[in-house]
Amino acid sequence: MSRKIILVAALGILFVMFFLSMEEMEDLFKNDAKLYFFEHGLDDTGSSNLITAILLDYRLFDSLFEAGILLVAVSGVIWISRHDFEERNAHFMLDKYKTPELFVTLSRFVFPLLLMLGFFIILNGHLTPGGGFQGGAVVATAILLLYYINLERKTDISLIVAVVKFAYLGIVLTASISLITRGEIFTNFMAVDAPTMSKYIYIIALDILIGINVALCLWAIFTAFLKEGR
Amino acid sequence: MIYVPAFLVLIPVVTGILILMFRNERMYLLAFLAQTLITVLAVSYFFVFRDDFASGAFVLGGWPEHIGITLANDRLSMSFIFLTILLWWVVLFYKYEPRKTDHSFLFFFLFLQGVFFGLLQTNDLFNLFVFIELTTIVATVLVGFKKTGSSLRAAIYYLLINTSGILMFLIGVLLLYNVFGTINLLHIRDNMEAMDSERLVQLAYILMMAGISIKAAIFPVYTWLPKAHGAAQSAVSALLSGLIVKSGVYLFIRMNQMFAALSLDYVDFFFIIGALTAIVGVVFALSQKDIKQILAYHTVSQVGIVFMGLAQVDAMTAHGGLLHAFHHGMFKSLLFLCAGVIIKVYRTKNVSEIRGVMKTMPFVSAMMIIGMLSITGAPLFNGYISKSIIKYGIEANPFQYAALFAVNIGTAASFIKASQIFFGEKPLSYAVKKRPPYVALAILSILCLVFGVFFAPLSDFFFTVDISHVSILSARGILEYALYLIAGYLIFRLIIKKDGSLIQRLRGFRPSFETANYVFVLYMAAMALHFIVL
Repeated sequence: MSRKIILVAALGILFVMFFLSMEEMEDLFKNDAKLYFFEHGLDDTGSSNLITAILLDYRLFDSLFEAGILLVAVSGVIWISRHDFEERNAHFMLDKYKTPELFVTLSRFVFPLLLMLGFFIILNGHLTPGGGFQGGAVVATAILLLYYINLERKTDISLIVAVVKFAYLGIVLTASISLITRGEIFTNFMAVDAPTMSKYIYIIALDILIGINVALCLWAIFTAFLKEGR
Repeated sequence: MIYVPAFLVLIPVVTGILILMFRNERMYLLAFLAQTLITVLAVSYFFVFRDDFASGAFVLGGWPEHIGITLANDRLSMSFIFLTILLWWVVLFYKYEPRKTDHSFLFFFLFLQGVFFGLLQTNDLFNLFVFIELTTIVATVLVGFKKTGSSLRAAIYYLLINTSGILMFLIGVLLLYNVFGTINLLHIRDNMEAMDSERLVQLAYILMMAGISIKAAIFPVYTWLPKAHGAAQSAVSALLSGLIVKSGVYLFIRMNQMFAALSLDYVDFFFIIGALTAIVGVVFALSQKDIKQILAYHTVSQVGIVFMGLAQVDAMTAHGGLLHAFHHGMFKSLLFLCAGVIIKVYRTKNVSEIRGVMKTMPFVSAMMIIGMLSITGAPLFNGYISKSIIKYGIEANPFQYAALFAVNIGTAASFIKASQIFFGEKPLSYAVKKRPPYVALAILSILCLVFGVFFAPLSDFFFTVDISHVSILSARGILEYALYLIAGYLIFRLIIKKDGSLIQRLRGFRPSFETANYVFVLYMAAMALHFIVL
């Protein structure tokens, strides 16, 4: 009991601290970076979606290793839960009698739409909200619906992981081309004053690779956890 | 040449992925090749830029500094890079077996090196966060690499507690971004003076330091370290304790550089925390019987000594703390690797069951004795140098000096206890087939000696700090070491050997995850009280 009281007191101190500091948040506000992005984002990177501009150009190094986190997480999960990959995955968890028929039917209907939405988000990362990370997650959701549609589905995780490695190397390579063409590392390989249309090539290529990476990684992690859930 | 920092990050990562892609038994060669390349690049980079490291800084993509990610080096990060390269060479030699390649291990191992280089070189707070998180995740996989129940549990414990720390760090970064409008470390440092009494910035400092404390495994939040070391294989323990824990020390120095203009008195607070860490680590180490747990708790206590040095106003003493972090990286990995060999041969970790190592493995025991002499601070070995600098810095204050003295005696006692394994007669019932990893152990022990004897030119070369005032064969140093040994032996004979109920209780003390988080909250509240209210 005394333990809980002390905990509450400690949390109270932290909360008061936070509360008092937050008052200053309005006054101490600097948005240099934001103004810079508004002003130069489109001209510099050719992407009207400024989030994509930051993710894939200004701070590409971060995104590279955020995709790396997924790669390491997948490899780690696969290493730790190495079982027979030919097992029928979803059978034990998604019981046919418990999964309503309506849900299965609806899944069949939604699956192509969701897949299409995912591809749309990936391919239009430079124009509309979204990009490789978000679209990849949507595509992964669509793929996971397949487990409801076909309970007998088999997944070869080792194949997925092999593709992921190639996709990751592809991301690293695409990001490094600029070293040869422009003498700058990790940016668009087209020159800054190139027409916007030609800058799209780079953004779309990178978005697709990141989308593949994210979708496959999430798929593999989900499948591995399905097996572990036994 | 200017892009070498980026290549240092990419080469190990790409090599690791290639090794995982082409599962060939000769892939070990590729790892050696990558290591050679990295070594050549890092050394030549150091020689090109050593007079003016600021000219080597560059922004990835060529964007303006306040929005892009800057990679930059200075003497501090370069020294950590050299330590990383050294330890990775050693572990590569240690794990090397002809015609046998553990692809998964090599992948995670090389990936860890790459992201660690990133952590050391980046000059951008969010990028730093990404690399800390990656280091944590890769280290988690390496801790749980044996896939046994206990190692997985330790890995998850490590992951969760470190993640909660990193999240605090991230909140701190967000606050700073709100205040300064940039996350470039140098820009924030330059603008810090105008904000020195703002509570928001102080809060950011507290949150970031709380996260870093977990990484550095200091007093109330060190609980993940013994668990992780007990479960991981010895090569991984050597890396964890030699380097990954040092990432906390490195970040502590970096962040204090960044917050230098802030009017917070961190010196007293972290000295007390450091002294507590050192004493608690030694006390727990004395109670343990598992050789890896003994070494793990000594990592805690040595990090405590490092913090005792770093948390000083005097620049020379702080340098002693930094130097101790490097020396600890060398001798502790040596000790862990030797312990790994011994554990493999004897098939037990209990120091009271292992006997007669001197006869069965003379080479390994010689190396291990070098490690023990270094960690206890014997003259001529590297531990002595850094401990002496810290000692000179704090001897004016009797309480601080007494704390260091007690820790040194405890360390001596604990290694006198561990040295039982060398003596006695207990021939193994089976022959020792495998050759010990001569190269790996020899490199580290020679370096322990080299850094203990030629410390002055080496420190001048790496840090441009003159430490030639430390004399290795002064009467006082030898006398004090003899005193440590005698007092340590008495403590061992009179207290530890009896194995009283208190010691048994200490040995069985295993804080749960809930307790660890509870203590973490208390730690943050204590920091808030100390830094802001008082």
